[in-house]
Amino acid sequence: MALLLVAMSIIASGMNSVTASAETPYLTYTVDGYGRMEETQTGYLAQDTIIKFGKEFLNGANDMCVTDDGKIYIADTGNARILVGTTDGKLVTTFGTGILKRPMGVFVTEEKHVFVADQNAGAVFEFDESGKVLNTYSKPDSPLYGEGIEFKPLKVIVNKAGMMFIVCESNTNGIVEISPAEGGTFLGYFGTNYASVSLQQIIYRAILTDEQRAKMVSNIPSTPDNLAIDSKGLIYTVTRGDEANTVKKLNIAGANMLRAENYGVYDEAPAAVAVGNHDNIYVASREGYIYEYNDQGEPLYVFGAKDDGTQRVGLSSSLTSIQVGADDSIYVLDSDKNQIQVYRPSEFTQKLHTALNLYAQGKYTESREPLSEVLKMNSMFDYANKAMGRAYYQESNYDEAIRYARLSNDKSGYSDAYWEIRNEWLKANIVKALLFIVGLWILYMVLRTLDRKKKIFDGVRKGKAKIKENRFISNFMYSGYFMRHPIDGSYGIAREGRASWSAPSVILVIFMIEYVINKYLCGFLQKTVREGRYDIGSDIGIIVVVIIALTACNYLICTINEGEGTIKKIYTYFCYSLLPYVVLTPINFVLSHVLTNNEQFLVTLVNVIIYAWVLILAILAIKEVNNYTAKETAKIIFLTIFTILIVALLIFIIYVLWAQVFDFISAVFGEVVYRLGY
Amino acid sequence: MVALLTAVTVITASVINVTNYVSAAPADSAETVDTAGGADAAATDNANTTDDKKEEGKEEDTQQVGEDGQVVMDGAVGKVDKSKWITIKNYELMAESDTYKLYFYEPRFSIMLENKQTGKIIESTLSDEKDDGDSNAGWNGRMKSGLDISVIKGIQNTLQADVNSTENTMETTKIDNGFSTKIYFTPYQFGFTVNVTIEGSDLVVTIPDNSIIEEQEGTYISSISVFPFLGYSALDDEEGYMLIPDGNGALINLDNKEGRYVTGFSQMIYGSDPGFVESDTKTYLWEELDMLQDASQVIAPVFGMAHTKDQKGYFAIVEKGEKRASIEAQPNGAMVNYNRCYAKFLIRDLFIQPLNNSNTGTMPRAEEDRTHSDLQVRYMLLSGDDVNYSAMATKYREYLLKNNLLTKKDSSYNTRVDFLGTERENFLLGTRAVTMTTTDDIKDIFGELKNNGVESLLSVYKGWQDGGLYDLPMSKYDADSHIGGNSDLEKLIKDSESSGYKMYLYNDALRLNPSTNTFNFNTIKKINKRAFEEKVWADVYKRFNYLTPESSVEDFTSFVESMNKKELNKVAVAGISDTLFSYSYKSSYFTRNDTADAYTKVLADLDEKADMVLESPNAYLWKSADAFLDMPLGSSDYMYVDEEIPFLSMVLKGTMPMYSNYINFEANKQEFFLQMVEAGVYPSFYLTAENSSKLISTNSADLYSTEYTTYKEAVIDYDKQLRELNAKLGDANIIKHEIKDEGIKVITYSNGVKVYVNYTNSQQIVDGVTVEAMSYSYKAGEAE
Repeated sequence: MALLLVAMSIIASGMNSVTASAETPYLTYTVDGYGRMEETQTGYLAQDTIIKFGKEFLNGANDMCVTDDGKIYIADTGNARILVGTTDGKLVTTFGTGILKRPMGVFVTEEKHVFVADQNAGAVFEFDESGKVLNTYSKPDSPLYGEGIEFKPLKVIVNKAGMMFIVCESNTNGIVEISPAEGGTFLGYFGTNYASVSLQQIIYRAILTDEQRAKMVSNIPSTPDNLAIDSKGLIYTVTRGDEANTVKKLNIAGANMLRAENYGVYDEAPAAVAVGNHDNIYVASREGYIYEYNDQGEPLYVFGAKDDGTQRVGLSSSLTSIQVGADDSIYVLDSDKNQIQVYRPSEFTQKLHTALNLYAQGKYTESREPLSEVLKMNSMFDYANKAMGRAYYQESNYDEAIRYARLSNDKSGYSDAYWEIRNEWLKANIVKALLFIVGLWILYMVLRTLDRKKKIFDGVRKGKAKIKENRFISNFMYSGYFMRHPIDGSYGIAREGRASWSAPSVILVIFMIEYVINKYLCGFLQKTVREGRYDIGSDIGIIVVVIIALTACNYLICTINEGEGTIKKIYTYFCYSLLPYVVLTPINFVLSHVLTNNEQFLVTLVNVIIYAWVLILAILAIKEVNNYTAKETAKIIFLTIFTILIVALLIFIIYVLWAQVFDFISAVFGEVVYRLGY
Repeated sequence: MVALLTAVTVITASVINVTNYVSAAPADSAETVDTAGGADAAATDNANTTDDKKEEGKEEDTQQVGEDGQVVMDGAVGKVDKSKWITIKNYELMAESDTYKLYFYEPRFSIMLENKQTGKIIESTLSDEKDDGDSNAGWNGRMKSGLDISVIKGIQNTLQADVNSTENTMETTKIDNGFSTKIYFTPYQFGFTVNVTIEGSDLVVTIPDNSIIEEQEGTYISSISVFPFLGYSALDDEEGYMLIPDGNGALINLDNKEGRYVTGFSQMIYGSDPGFVESDTKTYLWEELDMLQDASQVIAPVFGMAHTKDQKGYFAIVEKGEKRASIEAQPNGAMVNYNRCYAKFLIRDLFIQPLNNSNTGTMPRAEEDRTHSDLQVRYMLLSGDDVNYSAMATKYREYLLKNNLLTKKDSSYNTRVDFLGTERENFLLGTRAVTMTTTDDIKDIFGELKNNGVESLLSVYKGWQDGGLYDLPMSKYDADSHIGGNSDLEKLIKDSESSGYKMYLYNDALRLNPSTNTFNFNTIKKINKRAFEEKVWADVYKRFNYLTPESSVEDFTSFVESMNKKELNKVAVAGISDTLFSYSYKSSYFTRNDTADAYTKVLADLDEKADMVLESPNAYLWKSADAFLDMPLGSSDYMYVDEEIPFLSMVLKGTMPMYSNYINFEANKQEFFLQMVEAGVYPSFYLTAENSSKLISTNSADLYSTEYTTYKEAVIDYDKQLRELNAKLGDANIIKHEIKDEGIKVITYSNGVKVYVNYTNSQQIVDGVTVEAMSYSYKAGEAE
């Protein structure tokens, strides 16, 4: 046991230690345009730790509010009071003792009214600055609130109009909105989360009995865990389990305004959210991680870590609240360590914030200077690359814009810049291009005329005919006929000895080559894989496996269903069916290099044609070669797919069993070795 | 057949039992381990301290913090009645030197050291007088015992033995300058001899390896701490601090910690042991991102205690057995109300033996054999004006030089500019080179720097070898063709040498890349016989192995010899310079001592053939290092640390040149610059000719800012400022380091030069010298 713990705290030193600076015990990461986490300069440095205010210690505090005048209001939950201190650790006052039972949330308005959400008292208290209770808002008596629902406030915020937004324990309807009028009027629920239903759940519901269904965990929407408000009155919430929508920025209608891709950078146990001075959003995780997003919800940083027992400054045990000071410092409340940790932005972050500010205001050109400073310090900081690209675009420097867009995988930025570049090229070269085409056409006409009169290409034609006599070449060419005339073509495969191994294999190989080239070297906008990343082995492997599975399973099914296809014929028609892809993909490849987002539909169209054509060829071939009716064909296709699934399942089961057996043997072996004391 | 089946059943059953044991262990911990004291005690256990364990069946260590910051345990025994106090009168004078008298009280195995001049006494165990009575019987016994031993019994290592709580026999004889005690713990049937001598003002405590006996199968000594309370103080009774070798150096003040820290400093000297690490015990964000930065490694086996007002204390060097020992420094509040620091020798440990490949069945096991090595700590007793860390640093330097553990090197100023040659990224079915800096690039860069007044340079070329940075190991001089190949590199090194730019070729002699060297199996296995793998969160190469020391030595030797053939001899050694491990190989076990011996020997043997600079070398390699690369400038930021001091720099400045970590990756560059000035450390840059974004798909994707053009100005500027400063310093040593107010440091050199560093945001005047905000200044020395 102890050894386990010892082992736990011993940490293998990584190769990444090259960037090690012993200054912070945690690492800082940012996300790049492909959603990959990249290490970066320390964004925030852990500096001061506030352990006590005067002589007052905290006890399991759950929330705090830092005001612009440098005061910290803390919901000191364990001591059932509100503690007011300064950011340099002096005690200002404490109040609420005797009134509060379990204060979980605190919010201070501009008028210095202190709102406290008290879970056990079932009320929100409004204090004035001196600690006098001004108002108490308990459970709304409106029928809309829901009769059976308890009122256990956990967190509260108040907007400028005095409306309270309250997160309540086990109230799944959403945030409770109460107006101060008439001692508290329930206005309704705000920012309701929706329960998501997965495919699995849908299937379960369809097949389970009512009783079984009743036993399933009920699918209720998640309640926000915490919330914050910015100067414009927009409300920010964090909800655990909401995955990509963990952080929401809600407008007055309760709709989420965060649209940007966050690449899965969200926390699974968010404890609190705060809004910074640049509309940037901070999220604190209960586990000790701190996230910073820009105003669009794009992730900038993740840093911090859970204390591994080494007690280093900046590591946390259980975060409950996060606040941002006027100087961009982050204040984090740790209910376990009973302390407030202050993180100060590094030089790097200060530059980033300056750029962020300018960029958000649309001052792209002005933002380039701080952005380039940021990129100097970290050339892989993709948010800066993206902003830089956009800034260059605004300045009509499209080559640079494209470079940065490519670096940061900013497809729309790339498309815009590319459109401009193509436009310029077209303007400059359209005449030349047209002349070139006309020239080609003239050349063609001349050659054709010459050929008609003088038969200059007779030799070529003879050669062609001669080559065609070769059985392989002729089979190979036959695939073209098959593509255009699938029914006749199938007849050829079935009856005229057009089935072979070599010609289809060549087509399959060409297919693989084109597939790989198209996947890795197509135009940037069409690219689905990261630049510079290749995994060709598995690409080819998958194709081979699919072809083998299709051929084998189709053959098995056909033989027991009076099909006439032999394995050679089946292999032939499946490979020949790929021909539309082989023929049309080069077009797609070229298109992907010259089109912008606006014309992407062309590529999509070609793709649709390819897939439809391939599918039709395969289906018709199955039908014709095996001499089936339409109905039989449908059955065979269904059975083939089914067989493939069964085979896959079988292989999987065998694999699992084998692994078990292997595990068992190795366990016995290990035990024997151990007993023998080897 | 039936018998066979039964056997199989039994084995399976026992596998299951074992599995159960492990999974049940955390739940049962309340009974076996004293972690049930709530979150506090649990955290203690987490923090790697094994010293808070005691005998079974005792009550738990729950504790409360009192008004005055005093920690009170449940079951506290209360104060000792004055009539029963054991005082110096009960002690027997065993030996004396010209400065100290050594007293001994056998029942507690306790010594007292009386300074003959001042009459001040340093105690080694908690005296009855100072006993606050706030601890339970178990802790009380431990604190009043000069020996604290943790015991392995079967698969448990939670037992504790000390001379007060555990039955024992002792037999003391006087020897030259001291005494020798043979001690035997009857319940556990193990024992050993402790020799305590006083040599001048040095107290030397030794446990000879051959005196350790363990006579009961399955019961072993796990660790021994000798005089863990030597020079202790209660709460804030004394002014002063404890020196810990964290990072460059750190101090824990002897003030009242008000029970804030449940544990203190506890780190293995020369780093944790990869041979014992279970890789699946770390926590990751999203199960992939490691967010924790490792704490700094303990580079030197030293610690110190200074009672600055009372003017007594000591500086301790763990002389023998330090390769498997830890430095412990516990501030008050960590279990008890006393500040204490000591060395803990690890003799034998438990490890986790997996029984199958999926690690679903595991069982703890004790090491087959203990570590064999004498154990020795030398306490240099301090008094008068010497009770401070500056004197400790001086004493340590003198000790190193005297014992030939360090020799004086050329420590003239250089700016360090390292380059990355080539890296690899995935391409098609293999990898392809990503060339960042060729030899031609370096030639141009050197030319440009020279023209801008950079007179001398130390440059480490990384990724120069065929196959790129991570094509490891390398056993001969073979440059990658992408950077220009063997002859270009050779020419570059020789040409730049003549112009004062020294180029070292980087060689990580520890690691093996299994992707590039598929058929090399000379890699270490952990103590549990599972292959050791260093996992890396990267695109191309995801894991590395460690070579056996034997293989490292062989490769490295042939590498140096192959360089010699080209008349090249400058090598930057990494990997083996700062890593120590226990391992198993071909069914034999090897200890950290074996590993260290192999590395020490090869570097000593090659000292003639090669100029070697070492990457953060452990203390036992200092004598072979021409320069110390990657000297840490801060500490690990432990909460209980009150002050960071450049202790190692104070020891080494003027004797061995030290170079910082790379400035590129520092977020606060000016502060880092000032730290270099304060510590007398030279700056380091990591540069590439190409933009670092080219590295994005390589293993070096974490080098996010290395382009030369970005850093050119900084290199020239840093060089100018620091060269000027260091010209004044010459090869003088640091004799005094003072912390004036918050953020003002004054460093005095042996040639009289004083350097003032101001970390505050306002101009300061110190000793009549004006120091600008976030800047430094210096004053040439007056005649000494």
